[in-house]
Amino acid sequence: MAEMWISMGPQHPMTHGLWTLKVKIDGETVVDTEPDLGYIHRGVEKICEARDFTQITTYCDRLCYASANTWSHSYIYAAEDLLGVEVPERAEYIRLIAVEIQRIASHLMWLGAYGPDIGNLSVLVWCLRERELMMDLLQELGGSRMHYNFPRIGGVKRDLPYGFSQRAQAKLKLFLNRIQEYEALFDESTVFLVRSQGVGYAKPEEMINHGVTGPNVRAAGVDYDIRWSHPYSVYSELDWQPSVERPSIKGADCYDRYRIRVEEMRMSASMVLQALDKMPGGSETYHEPGDPKILAKAPSRAPEGTYGSHHFEDSRGESMFYIAGGGEGRGKMPYRVSIRSPMFITIPYASKCMIGYKVADIPAIMGSFDPCIGETDR
Amino acid sequence: MAGTSDWLDIRGWMESIVGWSMDQVHDLLPSSDIGLGPIGSINPQSGFSNIQGALETFLFTTIMCTIVFATMMLTLMVVPYIERKFIARLMDRLGATTSLRSLWIGEGHTTAGQWWNQLPFGIGAPIGWINGILNSTFGNKSKHVAVDRVHNRGYHGIWFLFPGFFQALADFLKFATKEHMVPTKADRLVFEAAPVIIIATTIMVYAFIPFGPHIWAANPELSLVFMMAVFGVAPLGVFFAGWSSNNKYTLIGGMRSAAQLTAYEIPLLISVLAIAVISGSFNILEIVDFQIETSNTWNLFIMPLGAALFLITMIAEVERIPFDMPEAEAELVEGWWTEYGGIRWGLMFAVEMMRAYAACILFALFFLGGWQLPFEDTLVGLPYIGVVFDLLANATPGMVVLLLKAYLMFAFFVWVRASLHRVRTDQILEFGWRWLLPASMVNLAIAIWLRLEVWDSTVSGGWPVWVVPVLFGSFIIAFIVLALDEDEETLELNRRMYHTQTLEKASPGTHRD
Repeated sequence: MAEMWISMGPQHPMTHGLWTLKVKIDGETVVDTEPDLGYIHRGVEKICEARDFTQITTYCDRLCYASANTWSHSYIYAAEDLLGVEVPERAEYIRLIAVEIQRIASHLMWLGAYGPDIGNLSVLVWCLRERELMMDLLQELGGSRMHYNFPRIGGVKRDLPYGFSQRAQAKLKLFLNRIQEYEALFDESTVFLVRSQGVGYAKPEEMINHGVTGPNVRAAGVDYDIRWSHPYSVYSELDWQPSVERPSIKGADCYDRYRIRVEEMRMSASMVLQALDKMPGGSETYHEPGDPKILAKAPSRAPEGTYGSHHFEDSRGESMFYIAGGGEGRGKMPYRVSIRSPMFITIPYASKCMIGYKVADIPAIMGSFDPCIGETDR
Repeated sequence: MAGTSDWLDIRGWMESIVGWSMDQVHDLLPSSDIGLGPIGSINPQSGFSNIQGALETFLFTTIMCTIVFATMMLTLMVVPYIERKFIARLMDRLGATTSLRSLWIGEGHTTAGQWWNQLPFGIGAPIGWINGILNSTFGNKSKHVAVDRVHNRGYHGIWFLFPGFFQALADFLKFATKEHMVPTKADRLVFEAAPVIIIATTIMVYAFIPFGPHIWAANPELSLVFMMAVFGVAPLGVFFAGWSSNNKYTLIGGMRSAAQLTAYEIPLLISVLAIAVISGSFNILEIVDFQIETSNTWNLFIMPLGAALFLITMIAEVERIPFDMPEAEAELVEGWWTEYGGIRWGLMFAVEMMRAYAACILFALFFLGGWQLPFEDTLVGLPYIGVVFDLLANATPGMVVLLLKAYLMFAFFVWVRASLHRVRTDQILEFGWRWLLPASMVNLAIAIWLRLEVWDSTVSGGWPVWVVPVLFGSFIIAFIVLALDEDEETLELNRRMYHTQTLEKASPGTHRD
């Protein structure tokens, strides 16, 4: 058959969002690919320049529909770096709990979407069933189901509600049992193994050169987890190890990228359980909103010429905010906000990973990189 | 003929009704000659008796075809129902009809919307009363339900089962009212002809499928050959549809269908051939007859390998997961279906169900003894209580037994669909040529050997006692050895074992700059 270009997207099940992947195929084999991003560029960075530091939090929530909490926290840490705020330790623990529960929810959303990518719908329903548990927990913290607006500069919006820690422990233990169901459906299925093993090799050195971070690069054996190598918050207080796969000589394939996220979900669940135990003041006590134990006073203006930035381990890789303080002329608003999106860097690399594989492998490879277009296009 | 004791003798009834009414017509006609002037004269009664036989056959066949078609369409409604409900149970959800159900039974005595109170003049009040009764009887009022909702375990009562049965009708009405669109650059003639080819050949398959010992439309001597030939035409229509739509996705879907065809159709036909060999007939009724009368054993136990092969290749033939590459929705957005809409899409979807249903019925006929109750002869032969089973076997129509077996098989299809992923085209080709084809040849050899050694060599048609247990047992052992091999060394060699690597633990402050 002659070679031809197929335009997959902007509306295509493979895309997991709104973008176009142009694929050149020869029969069933992929010869060339060309990603085309930018369909939902909203100009979040520019919008942020016209909002004060508190208002920006809600915009950062909307960067990623699957992992809202990690993005608002990512911003908050950068803003605290800019404004020079010392955060109470209890608030850090609460943030860690919120972020790790969100990470589990995000990975579950990924796993649920990965099942239909290679033809199984049960996985979607099973994963969303467990994601619902996590959403309920996050709803108790933030008050809404999707965009929580939970962190504040200097702390968190409110303390853990009464009974939260019991419910969280019960749900996370249930979840740790249910992970075994997914493994039964995935790892013990020969069809899944032949679909994911040996498909979509990504070499670690190439990924580092491209700037790919997060679970995708840890799947290739690169031991780079911001929470571990540059610990922020209270991650260094907990007993945990980053999950790193041992890849083959060709690099990480789809199966590695699947395993790494399952292991990360386990690790996040254990981190939340530990944080609930170790929290200063105990996880059963409740402080009113605005209590200095959960919210420190923060200045609302940044002097001119000050800069703040923070690396943050998002569910999909290293996210980073760079904020320049506005000074007198800008009021309470920042002069410039810049966002490093991990998926904006990963998607072009993932598109190149597909070359040489079959058409049926396109969703399998693209899905295994966990694209989220909200943060990609910003 | 097997199962002649079946009281649901629709063919016999129809034959006597048609014969009786033709006789009445014959008697009503004047018996005297009628003069037609210069042409001569005609005797209506004797003239009618000349054509009466042909007329009876014609009417009888037409009526039987109609009955079989109606039976097929009515019982087909169970198939999407099983698919929906069983997969909902597998996925631990209530299914597509949750919203419908919530109209009359709510959680914890509250319904979704009390719409009946908005009807004028209070005419909706009786609905509210009925709803109240239903709520207090079947509604969720215990604390456990609340706990179940937290655990996301659905409420599966009797009312979970009933709603949704007529969803297929509602879907059909929706498709029927939609606009018919043909892409501008499509090859219009082929585009319109392809659904006709697919639908017509699928319905034609049912001409040869008996629903019971006395419910079938046509029974030619070589019905098996004819039916398999007709069954294999539809993938050709799929290829036409994919090519003529002038769309890249449909083109790839059609190509995949054509490529896949060669991989599974040959093993399918060879495993069907093995059935014909062991039964000594190409006739479907005689294949069932063989299992009930001659061998007294279902073919499943005689050739389990053949049953497995037939099942796998049939799943590929009816294009269900894990072999539904032509319509892979993840990469091809429904593949060759993409450009079809409205009633053509709806009919082709119904046809997909029909083909799966036909595959299930065929499996029941070929391997599960057709309309014989499980262990019927053994149970009837039991002392004292055998009489009860005898009564039961006589009272149960063969159609009910057959369709129950078919629905069970369809539930298996749904189970497979809910638990497996989709394989790739090159993988099904490799699987088909490398595994299915040699295995089906082995199966054929076993069938030939059994036929020659067991049935044709012994004059009395005796069936050595050891053959079935030995064959079935060896198959099970081979399955366990091959499929459930947990040998560490083999796993290490064949599969790559991945463990999460634990590197040096971060100690607080070491990496902080």
